[in-house]
Amino acid sequence: MAYQLYRNTTLGNSLQESLDELIQTQQITPQLALQVLLQFDKAINTALANRVRNRVNFKGSLNTYRFCDNVWTFVLNDVEFREVTDLVKVDKMKIVACDGKNTGSNPAE
Amino acid sequence: FGPTLSLHPLAFTLCPLALHQLYYDPNIENKNLAQKWLMQAQISAQAWQFCWALLRPDKVPEIQYFGASALHTKISRYWGDIPAEQYGTLKTQLFSQIALFASGSKIVLTRLCVALASLALNMMPEAWPGAVGEMVRAFQEEGGAADGRARCLALLELLTVLPEEFQTSRLPQYRKGQVRGALGREWAAVCPLLQQLLRQPESPAPVKARALKCLSSWVLLDVPLSESEGLLEAGFAALADPELFDTAVEAIVNAISQPDSQRYVSTLLKLVPQVLQLQEQLREAVQNGDMETSHGICRIAVSLGENHSRSLLEQVEHWQSFLALVNMIMFCTGIPGHYPVNETTSSLTLTFWYTLQDDIMSFEAEKQTVYLQVYRPVYFQLVDVLLHKAQFPTDEEYASWTSDEKEQFRIYRVDISDTLMYVYEMLGAELLSNLYDKLGRLLTNAEQPTSWQHTEALLYGFQSIAETIDVNYSDVIPGLIGLIPRININNVQLADTVMFTIGALAEWLADHPVMLSSVLPLVLQALGNPDLSVSSVSTLKKICRECKYDLPPYATNIVAVSQEVLIKQIHKTSQCMWLMQALGFLLSALPVEDILRNLHSLITPYIQQLEKLADETPNPSNKLAIIHILGLLSNLFTTLDITKQEEESGDSAPPIKSTPPQTGPNPVVVVLQQVFALIQTVLSKWLNDSQVVEAVCAIFEKSVKTLLHDFAPMVSQLSEMLGQMYSTIPQASALDLTRQMMHIFASETDHFPPIKALFELVTSVTLTIFQQGPRDHPDIVDSFMQLQAQALKRKPDLFLSENLDVKAVFHCGVLSLKFPEAPTVKSTCLFFTELLPHCADVPPVGQVVQDDGKLLLLAVLEAIGGQSSRSLMDQFAEVLFCMNKHCFGLLTVWLKEALQSPGFPSSRVSNEQKDTFSQQVLRERVNKRRVKDIVKEFTLVCRGLHGTEYAAEY
Repeated sequence: MAYQLYRNTTLGNSLQESLDELIQTQQITPQLALQVLLQFDKAINTALANRVRNRVNFKGSLNTYRFCDNVWTFVLNDVEFREVTDLVKVDKMKIVACDGKNTGSNPAE
Repeated sequence: FGPTLSLHPLAFTLCPLALHQLYYDPNIENKNLAQKWLMQAQISAQAWQFCWALLRPDKVPEIQYFGASALHTKISRYWGDIPAEQYGTLKTQLFSQIALFASGSKIVLTRLCVALASLALNMMPEAWPGAVGEMVRAFQEEGGAADGRARCLALLELLTVLPEEFQTSRLPQYRKGQVRGALGREWAAVCPLLQQLLRQPESPAPVKARALKCLSSWVLLDVPLSESEGLLEAGFAALADPELFDTAVEAIVNAISQPDSQRYVSTLLKLVPQVLQLQEQLREAVQNGDMETSHGICRIAVSLGENHSRSLLEQVEHWQSFLALVNMIMFCTGIPGHYPVNETTSSLTLTFWYTLQDDIMSFEAEKQTVYLQVYRPVYFQLVDVLLHKAQFPTDEEYASWTSDEKEQFRIYRVDISDTLMYVYEMLGAELLSNLYDKLGRLLTNAEQPTSWQHTEALLYGFQSIAETIDVNYSDVIPGLIGLIPRININNVQLADTVMFTIGALAEWLADHPVMLSSVLPLVLQALGNPDLSVSSVSTLKKICRECKYDLPPYATNIVAVSQEVLIKQIHKTSQCMWLMQALGFLLSALPVEDILRNLHSLITPYIQQLEKLADETPNPSNKLAIIHILGLLSNLFTTLDITKQEEESGDSAPPIKSTPPQTGPNPVVVVLQQVFALIQTVLSKWLNDSQVVEAVCAIFEKSVKTLLHDFAPMVSQLSEMLGQMYSTIPQASALDLTRQMMHIFASETDHFPPIKALFELVTSVTLTIFQQGPRDHPDIVDSFMQLQAQALKRKPDLFLSENLDVKAVFHCGVLSLKFPEAPTVKSTCLFFTELLPHCADVPPVGQVVQDDGKLLLLAVLEAIGGQSSRSLMDQFAEVLFCMNKHCFGLLTVWLKEALQSPGFPSSRVSNEQKDTFSQQVLRERVNKRRVKDIVKEFTLVCRGLHGTEYAAEY
């Protein structure tokens, strides 16, 4: 099973919104909606792993980190993002990261 | 059997017809109808009977397939329908059908196997102990229509789909564990069978291939690696047979990479020499350009290295064989030819190098030193190999590549760059000196002509590291900068990399400003070349940002060159914008009079152009020109900041900056005041064009953000202009700018009155929009709600004013909650969470909540009941929480009244569920998180999603 963390993105949220509507109007069953969502997980995991190579550098001070159920979480303070076009500063940033290669296990389980 | 959907007893006779329609009818509607009917038929109670009839030998495979598929659906999803005493019959029937189809249609056979597998999984372990053993025996018995080989293939098919069916089955969690255990025990029956089939020299290739596939399928169940040792050996032997190569690779890789395999170190050790033995085959494949074979062998070597580097590193007495494996992977990394045109193997290896490095670096210091002695040279070699692979091909060759191949190559180089950056962690500054020495030798060698590709790759290596890692303590950077002018830049790619390398060193240059004089001329020269647009402009921007305090001596020159390239229109719009930002940084560090002088010469041509454009009749082309000029000004003012920022502050309070002693107003304000009249003229002609209005607002918004309180002299005239603008044609950007000023000047009594007047004006204008139908303007409503929320946060006494119709604003908020645009709804929820806490201290707010708060509650409940997106539930929960906290008494009454009406907020919730919900909500006055959970739960019930797996995983 692929990671589910991308469900909480603009794309994932829009998909779920549409699926919710289809279920509420009884045009599809929740089982079918689940299959669509699982397919979405698979597709977005592959696409992000294979098709994206854009890079952004950032630095900041590490406040907290933990590694639990194969999910890394980092909380950073005073982070500076440097891209060619811009420098963006944020006070607080949370990074949730999973091993992109190890899609065999599922952190949500 | 059970109480499922019922069809007419003769319905199954229609199946062939429906199937024919599904497959061959050209009319899509008929197809859909047929599919719907067939899906219903499949789950009907009669399916148990008709599926057997459909499997009869006189039917065509499409119909037989449907029958088999219906069987599988019934067994896997309606298992409860089957009385236990019928398990045996079903099993016997399936066995005999499989035996029949062993020499029949392959797709039907597979479906039947899946059906029997599903049956087995449902019965294991109690109702069918030793299932696999029975399967093996059943197919080994002589007899039936099929010959021995066909029966053997059918058995292997069945055994292959069994674990696969387990992986996708919907068994309940507790059963899953049980069945997994039972399957694990059944491995004892599968293993010897596969062993026998794979080892027999007389086994035909298709049987061996199927046996390897079966092995692949079983190893995913985490069967002990030690027990499949012999099978893997046979798998390695099969690699020599081109027909079996792919399946053998798959089986070996699957076995090696299953998580459990790391426990079997002695087996892993035995695998190493077997992998090493493949080197000869690998070399041959590389020589013959056989990409498939080299790819497969590389996958095996990498999977062993990547998954088990730690275990294998720890086997100190076997260090040489592991080192040999590492070198084999190095060979794969450096495989001859260019990626992705001549080879695609090398990219497979990159993660292995990360893993190995991580494992080495995670050893305690003493152990690490020993390993580093062995592996540092390996990693130095890796750097050479990677830089060789990163080289561009010859110009002719590169020109022949497709754009897709060029993109793949770019991606590959980024991956190499990431690897080099990581390797630097291990090799440290020595890596940079190593690269420097190589570059030096290359550039000073008079005998051999250097290829630009070689130079470019070395610089690329430098850039990869310097871009992200602080190279301050490396002593080779001055030397590198000294070498750069010696490079014969005769190629665009090389020139780009030179630029990016200089850009990567910008921070270093800030600490070593003397070196600026040797790189700046290069950058300024490149600025005139349109081919180097992105690299040269971004490099100049980086230098101006990092080194602004050391740039004043060069400022005149930089401004002159920039102005020239801007006038000659060498760069595209976005690069022009970056260039203006660069100039903003540059000017920030100059004395005020110099800033003004430079600003004057820099923007005068644009002001003149803008004056000319303002006189013309609006048309699409002068619109673009106007937006371009306004954009240049915005970008300049974004970075032109003469104060030294002490500290960054959050959104809650305006940042405080220390201003150096200065006389006179801020130069940006001077310029803004000079062009103000002109901007007004432009606006008067373009007022109904949202893009131009946005571009105008952007100039002021950027300036306000940079100038903060220095912007004060502009507040009055800008407020007046915004008021006029908004009254004529309302645009969201005007509201956003008002909000920005509200944020900064809320506590400045001198400057606030014009903002207050503006706030009241835009509020009343927006209320008119609401009267006329706000649905066409979700963006205005969004900005309006944000402005109201900001006002409540920074200056709640604005809501005491007689000129503000609080009641109307409240009603607009209730309307906006029902908008389909999520951002608008979010802003509106924010407005209410800012409003409700003022029930007590702002009487008009208290009054309207008392009078009309129930409407708000109804809107919130409707949204939770399913009218609004599920992703917004947290925001609605916050509003509910705020009501509970600040008007508890009222909420108790309203909630009771509201939920009384039947079917509200959803026909799916019962009265008990509504009661529980309101009790739970009213109980939580402290824990916001809890309220969010309660709302989430309730909304699922309202939407008919509660308890579904779909919503559970959300």
